[in-house]
Amino acid sequence: MAPGALALLLWAAVGLVVWAWPRPVEVSVLMPAPFADATAPLVAAFNREHRELQIAVTRGPLDTEALSDLAISSLLLGDTPYDLLLMDVTWTPKYAAAGWLEPLEPLLGDNALAGMAPGAQLGNTFGGHLWRLPLLADMGLLYWRTDLMDAPPKSLQELAATAADLQRRGVVPWGYVWQGRQYEGLSCVFLEVLRDFGGHWLRPGDDRQSDLDSPEAIAAAGWLGGLVRSGVTPDAVANISESESLQIFGAGQAAFMRNWPYAWAELQKPGSVVAGRVGVVSLGNGTQGSWGFSLLKGSAHPQQAAAVMRWFTSEATSRDLAVRFGYTPVWQSLLDDPQLQEQLPLLPVLRQALECTALRPLTPLYAQLSDVLQRQLSGLISGSGSAEAAMAEAQRQSTLLLRAAAPGA
Amino acid sequence: MAILLLLPALALVAGVFLWPLLRYGWLSLQASSVLTGLVPVPNGGANWQRLLADGRFWQDAAQTLRFAGLSLALELLLGLALALLLHRPLPRRGLVRAVVLLPWALPTTVMALGWRWILNDPFGPLNGLLQSLGLPAYGFLSQPATTWLFTVLADVWKTTPFVALLLLAGLQAIPSELEEALRLEGAGPWQRLRRLTLPLLAPYLLLAALFRLAQALGVFDLIQVLTGSGPASSTESLALYAYLNAMRFLDFGYAATLMLGMFAVVLGLSALVLLAQALRRRLAEMAP
Repeated sequence: MAPGALALLLWAAVGLVVWAWPRPVEVSVLMPAPFADATAPLVAAFNREHRELQIAVTRGPLDTEALSDLAISSLLLGDTPYDLLLMDVTWTPKYAAAGWLEPLEPLLGDNALAGMAPGAQLGNTFGGHLWRLPLLADMGLLYWRTDLMDAPPKSLQELAATAADLQRRGVVPWGYVWQGRQYEGLSCVFLEVLRDFGGHWLRPGDDRQSDLDSPEAIAAAGWLGGLVRSGVTPDAVANISESESLQIFGAGQAAFMRNWPYAWAELQKPGSVVAGRVGVVSLGNGTQGSWGFSLLKGSAHPQQAAAVMRWFTSEATSRDLAVRFGYTPVWQSLLDDPQLQEQLPLLPVLRQALECTALRPLTPLYAQLSDVLQRQLSGLISGSGSAEAAMAEAQRQSTLLLRAAAPGA
Repeated sequence: MAILLLLPALALVAGVFLWPLLRYGWLSLQASSVLTGLVPVPNGGANWQRLLADGRFWQDAAQTLRFAGLSLALELLLGLALALLLHRPLPRRGLVRAVVLLPWALPTTVMALGWRWILNDPFGPLNGLLQSLGLPAYGFLSQPATTWLFTVLADVWKTTPFVALLLLAGLQAIPSELEEALRLEGAGPWQRLRRLTLPLLAPYLLLAALFRLAQALGVFDLIQVLTGSGPASSTESLALYAYLNAMRFLDFGYAATLMLGMFAVVLGLSALVLLAQALRRRLAEMAP
């Protein structure tokens, strides 16, 4: 036989073996780039240890809504290439109603959330099914300057008074910075204040009714508007999101800031003007903003996807992500762990904050409701109209939306 | 025979333009949202009734027209000035032209982020300038009455080079003998511009205006990044509202209706521009 033919035969044999070799199941996960980067070493280790099951992570856009756009585009085309999607808490009911998610209890059992902190359990179930397994917890926090006061304020009224006093004495140019740009952050800020005033977004006991024109809601909106009008919060807040508020507070220009847990690490970085002079406390009703995994309908291997989901959210992985990246764990055992608390000074605060978080309304219409509220609040804080008028209009439009959702109700 | 030769082009136009339009038309007559589980259900023109009564659609339409109108006017004016300048024999003309084109080459989201920083209150360079002059900082992006002007500013900054480039091509097509002849006749620079350059540039101006009008009426990324529609939705454009309905609210029936509404606005305006042009030509012909 000619050597050429022999080589050809050999290559054909190799090809056949490669082709027939059992291929590992690949579970494809779409998540925002920072999460993908943070979990990359863990995923690499997982893939080395598991020959038969491989995880392929796609680095999605950093921006929450841009990730949603990407996921929705792929879902609308009908045949999504992803098995798992890392989802923001507010998407769950919408995605579930669109029929894009698989219920998780057949795969994970009925007690998948047992052992998680109370605040982290919220927002994963809707319409009697579990749709999402949380990876990390997130909630609004109050940052304060330890060098300007002895203790953090105990109430919003005290906060405003302390801030105004510090401004009057010329200690800081601004009192309190928060997120007032017309976007989701503004709804989160408002919800916290609303709950503090004893109000509700949707009527308790009847979540088909908006409750935004209650005296409490008007008082809450009035309080936020008053902060801007009295100068405690700069006018610029009307276009301030998380990063801009961090800039102002980080430059030592404000006594208080409302932000998410990530800001803590940013404020401790070398070069930060306020490093070592920042305290953090629970807002009492911090808006819940967590990320979690959902299984997309049409996944070719749901069992394996569920295993990957379990591994991602396991206590071991959570501990690693907490130590290395400061991701807030959802497991009560980790929040209570003295060793972890030593490594993460913020952990006791997060633990306390997770005992009571404010959940944004769980409805497929959430995006519309939030949009209506943002419009009115943005108008209020950028200086036109009264809190009564703004909340009456928000109530009117929300009622129309909710009525369309439940005709006959 | 002629129709046979045209067929491929017609099929292409029908495939990429007519078919989506018909599909939108069909979708605008359906309820198709999360409430229907994304299943289209005919709803007898309810979307169109809603559109006509939707104050936000009309507000956004007015805001979009306001944005497009001022952007277009400024861009044509500045673009013309820039083109006239670039047409002159300048030292290092190639380099100057490249520099002028830079803003056009930047992705819109990147330049919008840049402008968001430039206009930042209180840390932005523009406020730094105000403060160094002893003036108080100004909330460029936080005043419902004036924020739209700064979205126009950012748009003009980016797209004037595009207009200038188009007009420059037009200027270079004007034979220089004509200009010299006018000069010999004793016409000043202003007269030469009015009597020679502008009339010969008219088709290019019209082209630039149509291009820019269609683009400005569909403005999306600039506003999304710079202001997020705020404050108080004072900078929301029709494209943003349609996007919100489709991608955030998953209300595809109404989103399709909004897109068609927007399409009607763009079509109407383009028709107006062309009509004005035709009328002007007719008047010019009638003049002795």
